[in-house]
Amino acid sequence: MADGQALAEYAVALAERRGFGYGEAYFEQSSGTGYAIEQGRLNSSSYFEKSGLRIRLLKEGRMYVFSTNILEKDAIRNAIEGFRRFESSRTQLSRESPQKAKVAVKERKKFDKERLLKDLLSLDKTLASKRYIKFRSLYAGFGKDSSFMTNSDGSSILQETPRVDSTFSIIVGKGKETRQRMSQFGGVGGYEMLNIQRIEEQLLGDSKAMLDVIEKGVRLSDPELRKIENVLISPEIAGIAVHESVGHPNEADRVFMREAAQAGTSYVNPDNLGLSIGSEHVTIIDDPTIPNSFGFYRYDDEGVKARAKQIVSRGKQNELLNNREYAKILKTKSNGSARSDSYSNEPIVRMSNTYLKKGSASFEELVGEAGNGVYIKNFMEWNIDDTRTFSRYQGNEAYMIKNGSVEKPIKNYRLETKTLDFWHAVALLGKDFELSLGNCGKGEPMQGVPVTMGGPHALLCFGR
Amino acid sequence: MARSAEEIVKIAMGRGFDEAVANVFTYRVSYLKIANSAVDSIVTKLENTANLFVSGKKRVFFTNIDRVEDGNIASAIKVAKETIPMLKPKEDYNGIVEGPFSYECKCIYQKKMANFDNKMMSDIAYAAINSALESGADSIAGTLEMTDFTKEMATSKDAAGTEKCAFARLSLRVFRKGLSAQKVVATKKIGEIKPEALGRTTTELASLTNEKGKVSNGNYDIIYMQQPAGLLLADVNDMACIGSVETGGFLTGKLHKEVANKNIKIYDDGKSPELIATSDFDDEGYPTQKTTLIEGGKLRGYLHNHSTAVKYKTKSTGNAGLVLPESNAFVMEHKKKARDIDALIRKIDRGILVTNTWYTRYSDYLVGNFSTVPRDAAIYIENGEPKFAIKQLGHTSGTGIRISDNIIRMLKNTECAADDSMQTASWDSGSNYYVTPSVLVRGVDVTVAH
Repeated sequence: MADGQALAEYAVALAERRGFGYGEAYFEQSSGTGYAIEQGRLNSSSYFEKSGLRIRLLKEGRMYVFSTNILEKDAIRNAIEGFRRFESSRTQLSRESPQKAKVAVKERKKFDKERLLKDLLSLDKTLASKRYIKFRSLYAGFGKDSSFMTNSDGSSILQETPRVDSTFSIIVGKGKETRQRMSQFGGVGGYEMLNIQRIEEQLLGDSKAMLDVIEKGVRLSDPELRKIENVLISPEIAGIAVHESVGHPNEADRVFMREAAQAGTSYVNPDNLGLSIGSEHVTIIDDPTIPNSFGFYRYDDEGVKARAKQIVSRGKQNELLNNREYAKILKTKSNGSARSDSYSNEPIVRMSNTYLKKGSASFEELVGEAGNGVYIKNFMEWNIDDTRTFSRYQGNEAYMIKNGSVEKPIKNYRLETKTLDFWHAVALLGKDFELSLGNCGKGEPMQGVPVTMGGPHALLCFGR
Repeated sequence: MARSAEEIVKIAMGRGFDEAVANVFTYRVSYLKIANSAVDSIVTKLENTANLFVSGKKRVFFTNIDRVEDGNIASAIKVAKETIPMLKPKEDYNGIVEGPFSYECKCIYQKKMANFDNKMMSDIAYAAINSALESGADSIAGTLEMTDFTKEMATSKDAAGTEKCAFARLSLRVFRKGLSAQKVVATKKIGEIKPEALGRTTTELASLTNEKGKVSNGNYDIIYMQQPAGLLLADVNDMACIGSVETGGFLTGKLHKEVANKNIKIYDDGKSPELIATSDFDDEGYPTQKTTLIEGGKLRGYLHNHSTAVKYKTKSTGNAGLVLPESNAFVMEHKKKARDIDALIRKIDRGILVTNTWYTRYSDYLVGNFSTVPRDAAIYIENGEPKFAIKQLGHTSGTGIRISDNIIRMLKNTECAADDSMQTASWDSGSNYYVTPSVLVRGVDVTVAH
């Protein structure tokens, strides 16, 4: 790590000497172990170790980014001195206070690769014992990222982040009918972030529920589906909706069309900031500082201190996620949302842990208030249009609500609606709260960053 | 000191593994970003890395070597030595393929392409931007990727090879009068980038009609242009990989069964030199090939490496990744051809021309049910004529429609194709490339935003 830090400092000093108005260097060293067990076979056992340096240089408004794993002064010097002017738009960065910090997340329980493999094989054995589970794929891995960021403003930040990640795919079947669910677990920390017992309970519960949908579920006719006005959504559905239809469209680079050929545009634009997105019950927050969360960080990749951002406040669009480039355009300060998925890619505006703020109703009160409607518990298929206006969340597990109680499962419910209709329909919020994990994709080359998304159970009344 | 793939294999075998495979990569790649009709930034990467696969007593292990130097090789091998004894044997593992092999080495490698720099990339980008603006575009976004890489492969079973590849991928998204269109050119030949033509044709696609209108939920015939057709159908190659078959995909249990229209031929192309996702050899050194997956309406085979081929009593298809088989370029042909898109449009009484899709998601990979969202211009067709661009969401550039289908049903209902096959890719296709014509699919469910 020390050699990498020295190289990063050398790069920034050289960039200053060569007349760059801004120079930034980010050194990263990471390693990880992973296992994939598919249908009982240990198909993959892997380990990786990598390190590299990224420099970002700004000269006369031109942004040039170079990354390499060739950690030699010659490679860095050649990149900086070989910089060739090109025609481009002008980029400026907001002024930010220089930060000096060391952040290290502790592993309360040390990672043990032998134990992880044993736990996964045991979990696979349990799943295999259920005859209705037809296909199963299990993956779990552990890694550690150490990074050092420094820039010509005087920032110097060292961060160490251990992370556990696991994904599971289960296909349940009976007769010719099947249903599939994918789940993800983990967090920032040590082995304590992978509670195999809890995962086993959840996978078995989800599998049994899918079997119930196959065995007892009903298919509603189109007119019956159209009549449904009250929809109770789970924290998982609230999470995906928050992420897709509020978090993404409030990323400043989309709003200003920088992602237009890749991750898309937004219904939020520079002229309608402050628009009404939802009912007064809707407050949506992005907070990277939640300890041990999958989207955790203390400083972003431009060296700005992370903080919670209230994207939507009581229904009104309130704050865009930004970085130093868009903070300058918006005449504000960066709110610390610049992230890259590794040293080799540019930092761009990203979400972290994004959620709908909870209310005070119990699950029973929510169901009672719904009266007649649908409870949608989890999804498999989802998508949204380029402007984040028209989304669909398929009810992998969904139930009828009749006379204030949850009844039989429905096989073919899909919540397909416009974003503003969805959020304006929020009538009552639960007092519970859950975050689900995800790897969010954006940019080109595609960068996947760890995030969470969630909220409480929430009642949507579309007829009001 | 940088080591070759052969040296890495020799070092690994000296440590007592049963087998070793090393793939060494050296690459330089630049990504230029276009936003608001200007070049926004350029990101350049320079990397030297390797992947190492080793096995011992049917236990298999995979690792990388960051910077191919002695210390990092020793460190990777040390981890492999420590890990292999604790692994469970993979009982169905049958080893890597026995070499040596000779390769045709027909790869296209243009020095002019490989010698890209910021100025050259910026010039290409502005040629496309200016052409689009001159053709009437309001705003342009996009990316230009240029890559130069060398891959070196060696195995403990006497396979060894080296190849070089340089290519460009120019993606342009044009906005015009509330509509948008996106097209991608991907090529190994510098003369085929043709940025001016891409700027003009993408703008033309966003200008197919000035009329705008709404449609209702229902069943429509759909013409998917090359990009969305490839993006949707290329899942066939991924699901034909034996690993996907074993873990439950829509081709599981379908071998020799009816899965497509009888006029469709789909193959995995690992060797055509003009295609980007091809190579002379796979990761274990077996020569690549064209593997027919679907022909005469039936699924003809799956994609294998040596080990899985032995397990299923067949031959390797040259699709070895270091862990499991991987697909190459997706190629689709259709015997029933119309001259062009206009000829396809004339075959439709009530339908939609879809120029691009994104966010394709499956509700169940085993069954193959999916939905996808037309991202750019979608044109309503009535009585063989384009009527209007669908705009369910007036204030945005979105179409506000969603397509729901099943991939096997889509393959069966792909009635004919235009004679306009091209190599292309999409933002969300990652490093997958495909060669497809525009296709006409009958009777597809469409839902709309109200």
